[in-house]
Amino acid sequence: MSNDEIFAAAYREHYWAVSRYVARRLDGRTSEVEEVVAEVFTVAWRRRSDLPASPLPWLYGVARNCLSNAVRGYGRRRRLLDRLGHDETAHGRQIVDSPDSEPPGAWVHDALARLSPVDQEVLRLTTWEELGIDEVAVALGCGSRAAAMRLHRARRRLRAEVDRMRTTVAAGTETPRRDTPKEQRHG
Amino acid sequence: MADELELLRRANPVPSGAPHFGDGPLDQNAERRLDQLLHSEDRGQSPHSENPGRSVPSRRLTGRRPGRTSLSRLLQGRRPGRRTRLVWALATAAVVAVTALALLVAGPNTTPAVAAPRPLVVRADATPVSLDRLAERAAQAAADGSPGLRKGTHVQSWSMGMSQDKPPVTLAEERIVRWKADDSHTELVVATDPRHPGRPILSDEDGDPRLVDDGHVISKQTFPPSWSDAPPESPPPHDATRLRAYLQEAQYSDTPLTTPQLLDAVGVLLDHWTLGAREHAALARLLADTEGLRPVGRVTDRLDRRGQAYVYDGSGARRMLIMDPVTGAVLGLESTATADEPEWGLKAGDVMEYSAWMR
Repeated sequence: MSNDEIFAAAYREHYWAVSRYVARRLDGRTSEVEEVVAEVFTVAWRRRSDLPASPLPWLYGVARNCLSNAVRGYGRRRRLLDRLGHDETAHGRQIVDSPDSEPPGAWVHDALARLSPVDQEVLRLTTWEELGIDEVAVALGCGSRAAAMRLHRARRRLRAEVDRMRTTVAAGTETPRRDTPKEQRHG
Repeated sequence: MADELELLRRANPVPSGAPHFGDGPLDQNAERRLDQLLHSEDRGQSPHSENPGRSVPSRRLTGRRPGRTSLSRLLQGRRPGRRTRLVWALATAAVVAVTALALLVAGPNTTPAVAAPRPLVVRADATPVSLDRLAERAAQAAADGSPGLRKGTHVQSWSMGMSQDKPPVTLAEERIVRWKADDSHTELVVATDPRHPGRPILSDEDGDPRLVDDGHVISKQTFPPSWSDAPPESPPPHDATRLRAYLQEAQYSDTPLTTPQLLDAVGVLLDHWTLGAREHAALARLLADTEGLRPVGRVTDRLDRRGQAYVYDGSGARRMLIMDPVTGAVLGLESTATADEPEWGLKAGDVMEYSAWMR
């Protein structure tokens, strides 16, 4: 098959997986998913000669970098809106008073959000994209041992955050409290 | 109770079967975009990069100094300064060489560990210099504004690679990034360990550690002109308050960085920029105003430079900043395990990562 045919096959096979990857990191801003995914495949098209035999982790790596640009742009726009103070989107996620209104797993997201972007990404790739260490390494552009080390560290840090939140619960709140409205970030 | 990975798995906001993004045929827009790509005029290829989709390197660097030869010359940069190496015991060097060799010839079940570098030794008898005092010195040293800020980096690093079924290994690399006037840049990464000049060295560029010659080029890439106004690509400011905000943005954080996050951000900064005197002074002031860093004394780093050491004790790991006692420049950052973790073959005292930055 030519590079173009290989690319087209990868596009058809992985379009939705890449869309899910992006959607998971845009924190509900689903309207932007399609735009970012289009950018991912445009970059992948330019680099189609580099497309590996198992392209999905590589495509995640491309998506990660595209998201980096998208999130930066979003951050700037939001800060501008914050200053203007006229748009609801400027306020981001709000503190939720009632635990019942929390979406499922919200407190786990909060624990995750307290970690560094690199820690967050290695954990998300492992659990949400269900990648093995070798695939995580491809997505992150590092060696597999380095990826294993990052995962090891990130797990330890997430465990510490989870334990800390549980401690808060045990101390009297009904559910781990979200005290830092925060945009979910890519790695 | 489920472990942390299971908790996170359950909190997947967009599961595989999610209504909008479930697997299946492409929708109309996706088909149209594919068709546009396949019939676009763009048949060219972008320059090759190891990091997919990235126009600038993001990987932490480690590298080796060109030593004796070619690295700087290849990049037409200046040679790194005097660098006698910290000579670790010859016995250790022999162990590294022998065990590394064994790594190549033995099966996975008999693979011995390659000795991890030992942590830097702090001169406990020295009177520690406070970070506040060091920041004052740095401000004085920056009075004439020289040397200046320069984009690009030169860093030697040692990093431990781990896996759950093999012993950890330590990989030593030197990386030089040079930017040119037209905003293009070159990155050179070689495998080298200044502690063991001329000896074969472990590299894992293809995923599995193997011995390569000292100075083996892991990658050499030239990137086309690129520009960004966002940290860490944009120039760092030279006052502490703005530098703190800069580092926060470089880490994509909406909230003030914790001390360990700040130390990570310092590594990112120094992997992109060779700071000038004013930026060094700003960074020293920022660190002086950061909680949890305590002075512990004098050290001599792995490039045989004298420095003052400042330690942050975190969960499972200890971070140590090594700073120039006169200019306040950050010379290095060491991360050491503080507890055994048999699952990963990690022992308390193992150096997990060490970076030494040079001009």
